[in-house]
Amino acid sequence: MAAYVRRAYSSFLTHVIDIPPRLLSLLFLSLLACIPVIVSPTALSIYFLGVLITANIMAIFASSWDLLVGRAGQISLGHALFFGIGAYASALVLRYAGLPLWVTIPIGVLVGTLAAVPVGFPCLRVKGPYLALVTMALPLIATGILYYYRDYTGGEQGLPVPRFFPFIQNLYHQRVAEYYLTLLALLISAIIIYKIVNSKTGIIFVSILDDEVGAKACGINVTKYKLLAFAISALFASLAGSLQAPLIYLASPASFSLNLSFYAIIITIFGGIGTIYGAIAASYIIYFLDQYILTIPQLEILGTKILPLPTVWHPLIFIVVVIIFVVKWPRGIARFVVEDGLTELSKEREIEERGKHIWKKYKKKKQEATESTAEG
Amino acid sequence: MSLGDNALVDILLLETLLLYGAITGAVYALLALGFTLIYGVAEVVNMAHGALFMLGAYMFFAFSLAPKNPPLGIASPFALEPGLALIAAMIFVGIVGSIIYVLVINPVIKDVLASIVVTVALAIVLQQAVYIEFGGTHRPVLPFVSGSTIILGVTMTYTKLLAFGTSLILFAIIALFMWKAKIGKAMRATAQDREAAMLMGVNTTRICMLTMFISASLAALAGILIAGSTAQPANPQMWLTPLSMSFAIVILGGLGSIKGTFIGAFVVGYAENAVALLIPGGSFLKGAVALATMVAVLLIRPKGLFGKRIELEE
Amino acid sequence: MHMLEVENLTKRFGGLTAVNKVNFHINEGEIVGLIGPNGAGKTTLFHLLTGFLKPDSGTVKFRDEDVTGLEPHKLVNKGIARTFQVVRPFRHLPTIANVMVALECPRGRKKIEWLKTCERKALEMLEDVGLSEMMFEPAENLAHGDLKRLEIARALATEPDLLLLDEPFGGLSPIETEYLTKSIRRMHLDGHTMIIVEHKLHALMKLAKRVIVLHYGEKIAEGTPEEIAKNKKVIEVYMGKAM
Repeated sequence: MAAYVRRAYSSFLTHVIDIPPRLLSLLFLSLLACIPVIVSPTALSIYFLGVLITANIMAIFASSWDLLVGRAGQISLGHALFFGIGAYASALVLRYAGLPLWVTIPIGVLVGTLAAVPVGFPCLRVKGPYLALVTMALPLIATGILYYYRDYTGGEQGLPVPRFFPFIQNLYHQRVAEYYLTLLALLISAIIIYKIVNSKTGIIFVSILDDEVGAKACGINVTKYKLLAFAISALFASLAGSLQAPLIYLASPASFSLNLSFYAIIITIFGGIGTIYGAIAASYIIYFLDQYILTIPQLEILGTKILPLPTVWHPLIFIVVVIIFVVKWPRGIARFVVEDGLTELSKEREIEERGKHIWKKYKKKKQEATESTAEG
Repeated sequence: MSLGDNALVDILLLETLLLYGAITGAVYALLALGFTLIYGVAEVVNMAHGALFMLGAYMFFAFSLAPKNPPLGIASPFALEPGLALIAAMIFVGIVGSIIYVLVINPVIKDVLASIVVTVALAIVLQQAVYIEFGGTHRPVLPFVSGSTIILGVTMTYTKLLAFGTSLILFAIIALFMWKAKIGKAMRATAQDREAAMLMGVNTTRICMLTMFISASLAALAGILIAGSTAQPANPQMWLTPLSMSFAIVILGGLGSIKGTFIGAFVVGYAENAVALLIPGGSFLKGAVALATMVAVLLIRPKGLFGKRIELEE
Repeated sequence: MHMLEVENLTKRFGGLTAVNKVNFHINEGEIVGLIGPNGAGKTTLFHLLTGFLKPDSGTVKFRDEDVTGLEPHKLVNKGIARTFQVVRPFRHLPTIANVMVALECPRGRKKIEWLKTCERKALEMLEDVGLSEMMFEPAENLAHGDLKRLEIARALATEPDLLLLDEPFGGLSPIETEYLTKSIRRMHLDGHTMIIVEHKLHALMKLAKRVIVLHYGEKIAEGTPEEIAKNKKVIEVYMGKAM
């Protein structure tokens, strides 16, 4: 059903409304940007903003996963590794070097990105289920190291991290500021990822996803590009991690958890793996669903209380939905994306836009060439 | 302490290692056999295998609870004898496995990414379900036979001996089944070439369901035996370790080789016990042994000891 | 100096020797045919020459440089490209992007500029094989004949000096075979050296000046198409022993 909805939606966009996706994203973004202005400063809004802030962070995290898995085809089931590294690197530098947040966060991102190299190398040699298991095991190893050196890392308690804006007294205003900060981070991340995905590098990533052997036959250094995919993905994942720590005042071991890794997977598959913008949009949808649809309204069917659902059930519901999604489209999850995501390259209006342009110039050149040979 | 005393201690340690290693190896062999079977026959890497292991332990717990067991806060209508509870748990998990296979795994069997994501998702579903039903606190799985004996100077609980015996017998039964029984031969045929088997009139989907039933019940049995004999409590997160273990054993022994699985299981079992006994504070490193083995094998000799499937470039 | 020198190349798979001490050379500008019954080791030989398999023994020299066992992408950079027997396009990418993957796109000053340059170059390559109409069509929607042409366009996009074609005529209709024969001749005139594995012998004999015959991994004959057609051993191998 969702497939039909999605197809109807995208053909609606291209045929009826004829809004290019860029404009739509702009609208969506403006809406997001306006929210704090519209909402009044109540306790509920503080909570609401908190949910949106989490959604912003998770949108960055999920889109980084989508880049690695949906575009470059490297199955990563332990993406929280980079998230955690970002959080802890930033927190550790903060604690031991006393540097302020706006310095430690870029350092956290740098460390996370560099970590992709030693992590990437074993991952390059293995494929499929082996890769999946290795990526699942890595955050566990990281957690183990964390607990072993508990004197430095705070063990299960984690490391305390200061807030972003300690000088703002009003909690509501603080949330608003944090909201805009994370939204800005998301905007920048999304733009960069989008640019990468639509560049030659992005095309090469997809070729690796489709057929590594064929890519090698085209002269692509597959190892280099796989590492690159890991590095870029790790960059944004660790950005998400180092941004989240000051929001919960803590760098906690939960930032390495399998559940966190799976949030990225749930969100991305929900939004359409490979699309990038799907991962971002779905982040908001999922968090909204999670916090509001499932928690607040009351719903009874045939005398049994369906809603609100106890929190414990939420992850279960989402995972089951993911399973249903994956099974119902046995052409493969990545195939599911062809209609939606990768049609960025072959969508009708792009054809008209770019096709005409290239074809015209090309025809002109050819004409000139034939004319000159006719004369000469 | 005289030299004589030291020597005695050392021999005891070695004997403990010898015997414990054998038991661990035997039970791991069962676990890994289940994993190998479903991989061989259906070509599926079942990431939920560890979760089925966990489910087995929990279901044994649930089936054997007496109704009047208030301290644990869960009432159970079953209260079966340990032997019956074990069989009931195995059958239950076996059925769950078959259902999982036909509903979820079979549709996506051709797509590697999808089957991996789906089986991990299933593992998490099971984790969450167990968490919801039984709570997050560790649940003890009680040893089914009390008492112990002393072999070669090492204290061996009867439960441990039972685990050892059961594992070996069951392994032998399955091996015999695979080679002599008609259905077993159908399983092997499907493992070798699914399409050819279909052309021979084998209902491959049913065979895979049966294989999954066996695989899941073996995992469940392993879960019960290990939980029971090592007095380790069951907890919802315990599915990753058996999964890594199965992986490590199967990779070491070589994918698709039952002989390799058997030998690999004992190698890993002994290695794990050696680490736990010989290295001070080593019991924390047990999980690491499996992972380290796997990584080492993948880097040095990806085929494993007896691997059949050669990974060609194409 | 020969363009390609293969000496005693051997590859074993367990008990099976797929390629057994094969020796031959290729000169610049030749079109050489490689034939043999199924299982003779032709594709394996291609894998060995293009880095997808590492030989157990023997050497491969490209323009006097030892390239034995180099990685595929390095060999492509040196100027050796190949197509595959079973087409393997990048299914998710549109046709034009399939070619763009293989293209060396020099970075212009502005990013927009060089992406468009890349697309233009790719379009030219597609024109050469007659696929320009399909440029934005996802590769998985293409017909078999078109996919075969895409394979060749992709290989050409790497600007090779030596082109290895693995059964390029496989599954083509007579018209498509004609068209491909013309394309190969054109590529030859453009200066590409080629080794072509092919079962459609009549198409191959029209193009190749020299033919090498493999059987059970060994080279059993070498010569002009006429010589090979008369060679008793070759006839035996293809037709079975005469009565």
